[in-house]
Amino acid sequence: MRRYETTYILRPNLGEEQFSEIIDRTNGIIGNDGGTIIHLERWGTRKLAYEINKETSGHYVYCDYAAPGTTVQELERIFRIDDRILRYLTVKLEESIDQETIAREVERVAAAAVARSTASVREDEEETEVESGDDEDLEEDASDKE
Amino acid sequence: MPPRKRMFRPRVCRFCTEKEMVIDYKDAKTLRNLVTERGKIIPRRIYGTCARHQRQVTEAVKRARHLALIPYSGQIQS
Repeated sequence: MRRYETTYILRPNLGEEQFSEIIDRTNGIIGNDGGTIIHLERWGTRKLAYEINKETSGHYVYCDYAAPGTTVQELERIFRIDDRILRYLTVKLEESIDQETIAREVERVAAAAVARSTASVREDEEETEVESGDDEDLEEDASDKE
Repeated sequence: MPPRKRMFRPRVCRFCTEKEMVIDYKDAKTLRNLVTERGKIIPRRIYGTCARHQRQVTEAVKRARHLALIPYSGQIQS
């Protein structure tokens, strides 16, 4: 099993259902040949640096997975046929990866995601504290002017 | 006219010295620093990278261009 990462861009105005349908179909193809998905990330709709097929923005999806080599051929064949997918890029990360490493990577990714979500919650709390400090400074300036 | 002496700056590769700067084609922000305003890749003799990292930079920039994260040419709008 090799480790690949695929990034693909979907047309932005399809709607959430079609996004999910395409992503589920892609995951299904990976799973069919016995592959495992390590990390699936949706970057969301971003502005493209240049026009592709007359579209100025696109919905990015990033998938990190382990699969045999034939899976990638099948995946790219489907991508090429489907009109709703604008671009795709597959990069091979590692030549061979075994089950233990896959399990470890999955856990590591899940742990990182949890850590990031708790960190963002903590950052929001800190921001509110800082804002209250700024209000106090403004009140002092107003009293000085008077 | 005496021949112009070349100034040799000690070549320090930023990626060799700072291990935390990883070259990733998905990271449009760091790639913007490696590319001129018009979108061209900065040459090695100006930016000071070593040969190995410059090859990685080139590959990463070309992949990012394919994925429309940075443009092929023209100003980069943030």
